[in-house]
Amino acid sequence: MAGSFGSISTALSALRYNQVALDVAGNNIANATTDGYVRRRVVGASVSSAQPAMWSRYDGHGEGVTVGEVRRMTDPLLDARVRREHGLLSYLSTSRTILARVEEGVGEPGPNGVHAAMLDFRNVWQDLSLDPGGLAARQQVIGSAETLAQALRTQAGNVAREEADQRANTVNLVSEINSAAKGLAALNHDILVTEQNGTDAGTLRDRRDQLALELAELAGGVTTVEADGQFTVKVGGATLVQGREAGTLVIASGITASGDADGAPIAYRIDDSSGSTVLPAGASGPGGELGAVTEVLTTHLPTYRAGLDAVAADLATALNAQQAAGYDASGVAGTPLFSYDPLVGAASLQVAISDPDLIAASSLPGGALDGGNADLASRAGNYPDGYQRLVNGLGTQVSSLEQRSANQASLAGSLDDAREQLAGVSLDEETVNMVAAQRAYEAAARLLTTLDGVLDTLINRTGLVGR
Amino acid sequence: MAIGRVTQRMMTEGSLANLQRSLGRMAALQEQLSTGRVINRPSDNPTGTTAAMRIRTSVADQAQYVRNARDGLGWLGQVDSTLDSVTGAVRRARDLALQGANTGAMGQQARDALAIEVEGVRDQLLGQANARYLERPIFGGVTSGGQAYDATGNWVGVAGAVNRRVADDVVVQVDVDGRTVFGDGATSVFAELDALATALRSGDSAGITASIDVLRARENTVVGARAAAGTRYQRIELSAQAADDTKTSLSNHLSTIENADLAETTVHLKLQEVAYQAALGATSRVLQPSLLDFLR
Repeated sequence: MAGSFGSISTALSALRYNQVALDVAGNNIANATTDGYVRRRVVGASVSSAQPAMWSRYDGHGEGVTVGEVRRMTDPLLDARVRREHGLLSYLSTSRTILARVEEGVGEPGPNGVHAAMLDFRNVWQDLSLDPGGLAARQQVIGSAETLAQALRTQAGNVAREEADQRANTVNLVSEINSAAKGLAALNHDILVTEQNGTDAGTLRDRRDQLALELAELAGGVTTVEADGQFTVKVGGATLVQGREAGTLVIASGITASGDADGAPIAYRIDDSSGSTVLPAGASGPGGELGAVTEVLTTHLPTYRAGLDAVAADLATALNAQQAAGYDASGVAGTPLFSYDPLVGAASLQVAISDPDLIAASSLPGGALDGGNADLASRAGNYPDGYQRLVNGLGTQVSSLEQRSANQASLAGSLDDAREQLAGVSLDEETVNMVAAQRAYEAAARLLTTLDGVLDTLINRTGLVGR
Repeated sequence: MAIGRVTQRMMTEGSLANLQRSLGRMAALQEQLSTGRVINRPSDNPTGTTAAMRIRTSVADQAQYVRNARDGLGWLGQVDSTLDSVTGAVRRARDLALQGANTGAMGQQARDALAIEVEGVRDQLLGQANARYLERPIFGGVTSGGQAYDATGNWVGVAGAVNRRVADDVVVQVDVDGRTVFGDGATSVFAELDALATALRSGDSAGITASIDVLRARENTVVGARAAAGTRYQRIELSAQAADDTKTSLSNHLSTIENADLAETTVHLKLQEVAYQAALGATSRVLQPSLLDFLR
């Protein structure tokens, strides 16, 4: 049963509650543009009078309001989907970005670059066959061979540089992943402790959600929520974070600490207190950015480089054979035009001849002006076709990655939208909440005034009959 | 898409994403316009890239065939004009022989004069046999020397054909082996003219008569060689024409694959510009108001 002042405490509870509602609205507005902020909603709980004593009675009208909960508006299922799709998106867009950069360096189709140099090289042989005795024509063959070898070396160099950059990138990524994992494990612990203390852990939860998303984007980390609310993160099927413990992701082989290649395939493992687990390679290994970089380093770039090597090898083999089949200006059999080391590849392609007289234009011994061998040299080898297939393969790959990452971006975007619909701050809504809280606060104040008036009447104006 | 709640951030991000997309499309069109090309990298159109590279190869080949053919036509033109003069010279020698055979009407002194002229024709022919195109004797095969015949009428060339590739699998010989026109050493036109001069000097009418037949045969040989060279000239000319035509049509084809249609791209750019402006306008309207603007 409420006492005389019971209603005053009801008014007080309303004042307090609405103050909190105003605070929550204010906090939402303050964080309207904060990354990772999830809007809060204050959930009021009406206070019913308990029965504090045997003879007290419930009078049926309640005893005010209390802050039941300040709820974070999230949906764990939606968060999980957002993380998954963002992980895939960052995998695709990272692969696309790297390969597109390599592709920019290719510069095909166009009047410059390797293909143009190949065509020019073929044609100068024909020009030499028109004028087998001409020093200028011979010099041109050497010059054009230099240009072609240079163009191939440049492209091989571009690929090698990209590989070096991506290896360094991998080392950085691994350390970023480890620091995110550590942060998440620490937050797991903090949240548990904070909530056991009965304090609100909303901000910590915001931060933990962000880290979980970051791990999904960096490594394709899959987060599951345990029964006690702790996040467990697995990368490549192995546990990276569990409770307060974070394992350490380590590059097991393939890349040295300084970012060099060690010749072995790239592999990762996770070390934690229970030992170390080697992650599987390929699609079942790490995803996200790390997965993309690993895939590019393991498959795409080496394949392209091997293609360039094959083109360079074909060029060197075919032209050297043709040189050997012909005779140079002094009438003796030709010596190799290109030097090529199959162990090094396209980067080792060099023109071995500097004396224009050593070009074997003639198919007859003895120094006759027969351009037959020059004509054959212009048609030797399949390197233009091989190169064209290579470029086509790269272009197809980049364009398909572009397509897929665009699709994935719109999927991730619509999930972001759905999440934003739930978790985002609407200024209009907060304004309405503010107005409502303000009005309720005013009404509660009015209630207090009313009660005050009632009590004034009762206390000060009662029993004054006849005075 | 069913939108439950709309938040300011959603609108900002959404508007920003749309503006970015729109601007991105404009940048792509802008690139096409400023480079004049629709394929600026293989991934813009992988199939088109393959086609473009193949066509570029063919265009380069055809251009080279045209160049080769021009050079070949130069050789064969030189061969033709030289053989034309050679025919004239041989005919003149035969005329002289016919005059010399007319023994009744002609004294030895006149025949001596004819012999001197025959020797002159021989020297002229030797010069023609050593005719050159771009510093190379056109009747000397693949010799690296400057002469096809020495002063005694011996062929000093190197056997071998000077060929020009005028299409993928078409190689045409553009020189003529001097021996098929002028003969060599004792069986050469020079020896024949020497014999005629000797016969004229000695008044050997049988020898002169024999020379007439020999020179007639030689004239036929020369005319035959010229006709053969003419046929090859024609073949090269046709090939050059074909290569030139192919090159033009391939270049056109390449242009349709690689190059941007200026009118079309400009219209697209204009459309995109309008779309972008509309997006900007819409964004500015959408982002401005909130409930706060309408409350006291």
